[in-house]
Amino acid sequence: MFGKKKETGEGLNIIIVGGGKVGTTLVEQLAQEGHDITIIDHDSKVVEGITNTYDAMGIIGNGASYSTQVEAGIENADLFIAVTNSDELNLLCCTVAKRAGNLAAIARVRTPDYSNEIDYFIEKLGLAMIINPDLVSSRVIAKILTLPMALDVTSFSHGRVNLVRIEIPENNPLCDKTIAQVGREGLIQQTVICAIERDGKVFIPSGDFIIRKGDILSFAASLRESRNFLKKLGFKTGQVKTCIIVGGGRAGYYAAELLIRSGIDVRIIEIDKSRCEKLSELLPDATIIHGDGTSEELLKEEGIEDVGAFIPLTGIDEENILLSLHAKKVSKAKVITRLTRNNFMEVVSGLDLGSVLYPKYITSEAIIAYVRAKNNTKGCNIETLYHMFDSRAEAIEFKIEQPGPVVDVPLSKLSLKKDLLIAYINRNGKIIIPKGQDTIKVGDMVMIVTIHKGFRDVQDILA
Amino acid sequence: MNSSMIRVILGHVLKIEAAFLLLPCLIALIYREEEGYIYLCVAGGCALFGAFMSSIKKPKDTALYLKEGCVATALSWILLSLFGALPFCITKEIPSYVDSLFETISGFTTTGASILTDVEKLSYTSLFWRSFTHWIGGMGVLVFLLAVIPLSGGSNINLMRAESPGPSVGKLVPKIKSSARILYVIYFIMTTAEMGFLMLGGMNPFHAVTLSLGTAGTGGFGVLNSSIASYSPYCKWVITVFMILFGVNFNAFYFILIGKVKKFFEVEEVRWYLGIIAAAILLISINVYSIYGNVAATVQDTAFQVASIITTTGYSTADFNTWPMFSKVILVMLMFIGACAGSTGGGIKVSRIVIMLKTVKKELNNYSHPKSIKKIMFEKKALEHEVLRAINVYLITFIIIFTTSFTLISLENHDFTTTFTAVAATINNIGPGLEMVGPTGNFAFWGDFSKIILMLDMLAGRLELFPLLILFSPKVLKELLYDNLKLSVSNK
Repeated sequence: MFGKKKETGEGLNIIIVGGGKVGTTLVEQLAQEGHDITIIDHDSKVVEGITNTYDAMGIIGNGASYSTQVEAGIENADLFIAVTNSDELNLLCCTVAKRAGNLAAIARVRTPDYSNEIDYFIEKLGLAMIINPDLVSSRVIAKILTLPMALDVTSFSHGRVNLVRIEIPENNPLCDKTIAQVGREGLIQQTVICAIERDGKVFIPSGDFIIRKGDILSFAASLRESRNFLKKLGFKTGQVKTCIIVGGGRAGYYAAELLIRSGIDVRIIEIDKSRCEKLSELLPDATIIHGDGTSEELLKEEGIEDVGAFIPLTGIDEENILLSLHAKKVSKAKVITRLTRNNFMEVVSGLDLGSVLYPKYITSEAIIAYVRAKNNTKGCNIETLYHMFDSRAEAIEFKIEQPGPVVDVPLSKLSLKKDLLIAYINRNGKIIIPKGQDTIKVGDMVMIVTIHKGFRDVQDILA
Repeated sequence: MNSSMIRVILGHVLKIEAAFLLLPCLIALIYREEEGYIYLCVAGGCALFGAFMSSIKKPKDTALYLKEGCVATALSWILLSLFGALPFCITKEIPSYVDSLFETISGFTTTGASILTDVEKLSYTSLFWRSFTHWIGGMGVLVFLLAVIPLSGGSNINLMRAESPGPSVGKLVPKIKSSARILYVIYFIMTTAEMGFLMLGGMNPFHAVTLSLGTAGTGGFGVLNSSIASYSPYCKWVITVFMILFGVNFNAFYFILIGKVKKFFEVEEVRWYLGIIAAAILLISINVYSIYGNVAATVQDTAFQVASIITTTGYSTADFNTWPMFSKVILVMLMFIGACAGSTGGGIKVSRIVIMLKTVKKELNNYSHPKSIKKIMFEKKALEHEVLRAINVYLITFIIIFTTSFTLISLENHDFTTTFTAVAATINNIGPGLEMVGPTGNFAFWGDFSKIILMLDMLAGRLELFPLLILFSPKVLKELLYDNLKLSVSNK
């Protein structure tokens, strides 16, 4: 209570430097989970804005300065997160903080120059984690393009299981059937339908839930099984061959690099001449086009009508949205839209933008997963946390380390909360899609999908 | 405006008041006084009404913006006083409701101005409740609410901001709930410490408890007609020291609590505050020495009076009405300076005065070097323009409210000093003024109209003007009325 270090489970003392988009999202989500948050920013307006809306303390100053950190209570802090605009400042903040207090430090580092040195930073500077939202979102982009019929794909349990999101078209074999019926017809075997979005609402489906056309369905399965499942549903598989990226910034670079590595022909349209030259050095296998990516003429010339995938990655959300809408109109390309802000989410979700990525959620998810795990040093741990449907639902992987009320009880005997589902059990690398008679055992990894927030322990699933 | 959330807060405030009203019942039990039943009934009424208000319709949105925070605070204080005045009136100890309300508002706002001519006639129960209102009002009932009731969302800082005094209100620790709790823990520890010291000096436990409650809130209601004059010198010194302590910014005590004693003395406001006290004691002592002719007695009485006035407590051990003019003028100046920001005291606050003096110095400097740029530093930090602007506007508003009230109560045609210090003593939450409202006088002779003006002054002074002004601005009143009409229609 008096700012001393706390026991586990009470919430952590967290200092966040930088009140930008990611900083604010972190304050919002971490304060909601009951942690003590102190935000440092040099702009008094930013600090005031955050402390007026969220239950956090604000300090105005330079986050890398020792005295500012002391003012923010660095001695008693458990975690230090630097998410300012500058990579160097973030690293300096963390280096100073590591010396000043006994804590874990997380830095955001985005510049490609450092991207190969992450291991070095973690080891030599003693950082707990380095996050690179651009790189992480590029990985997501790459995954989507290799399973192009999916809206997005996330992997769990070291890639053994994928969470795939698809939209149900008209006359699909799943249409107008209950989940139970689909199971009886043998369409689902080693697959679990985890969540369904309809008209902006997210449902965790039970057996009598009827699937309709236009539903957005999220299912968990191994990679091979998900391809099989999609084939049964009549989707064409196979990855795209060509891709246009508009904007050759950091995000564009990371995406292009990953896509080229998986054998996709990449064209980057970039408006800045010197950046184009730099890109052609960094990515010799890509086609770099110097021009205005928002010109319809140029896009047509570069073959937007026949391209496999189209990814606008300019720095302006509005431009990205318009480009995506245009691409959807003139071609059959797979479109991925990356949005840095989440204003007007209702409007955006009503637009046909293909897969939508929010890098700031990707970043905050990674950090929150770490914070939750850190806050649960004993008992059942959260291994991974993933936000689905614009963070309206969560997929959580728990590690079962000791016996408890959910262990060794047949699943049908457990009284689970509503709107919750056990997607799979990972037992020593073997994925079990659970049935009523299955039990959770010590040592298992259990994946839960739910629209409840703030789960910390596997026991939270009980009603 | 989010009036359903305001209603919920008002409901919680009443429930808390009901709980507070149970303490006088305990006193009634000890002294076997029948008044206890009346307090019990009022507590029951408060609890019922509060429960009704906070449960009729759940608010959809729990956000409280600054405007809602101010309105909720002002309304809470008014409601708190309206209910808190009931026992005095029902027990017929103060027959008129306006008088009861004056006494209660004077209690909650930690003013200590009384309309009673003979305090000693009151029952123990009512004497305790009178002093206890000081304690509740000193740290603030909404801060208490934030400490005990889980309200979701971070925007509740606006409640604390509207109730806590000072130019900028911050938190001690990241969570508002923990901050509020720390404040109350410090407050509680210091109050019990004073009780202990007074009882060690052989003071009757009832007196020790009530006087400590009055000191803690920097209120000033005594239990004897002679205020503090008849207690032993030891007790007077204990009260002097604790008055000064309760006038210190509580953030500074937090440094002591976390073991950074050195930082306590580095707080600029505290240094100024202690400096002003020392200077005032010195000047007045020299001035009044001829009356006492004895150093010990002079310093004791001067120190007590200075501490009592600057912290806006309002206890007295001497009738400073009979002191020379120079001493009286210094005391009136201290009335306006007031205690530190973030303390339980009233007045304009030391930090505001110091910052104002610094701006004057800067302005003078600008005359000789018109193009010079100099940031004003306070507590080793450059002050934002916004803070300076807010302080300027605060002072102007203070002057406007002061002159308006002064003019309105001058209709009663009392002498200048009485009229002037009556407003000064209420708007700064002190209690006694000079002449007819001096330490030996009281406020009983004012008419009901003037009493209402002075009550509003006390509330405005305690809540630092703006919450009350916002509540009474026509636009907000209209919104409140409209929302409540809509509610009553939809309930049918």
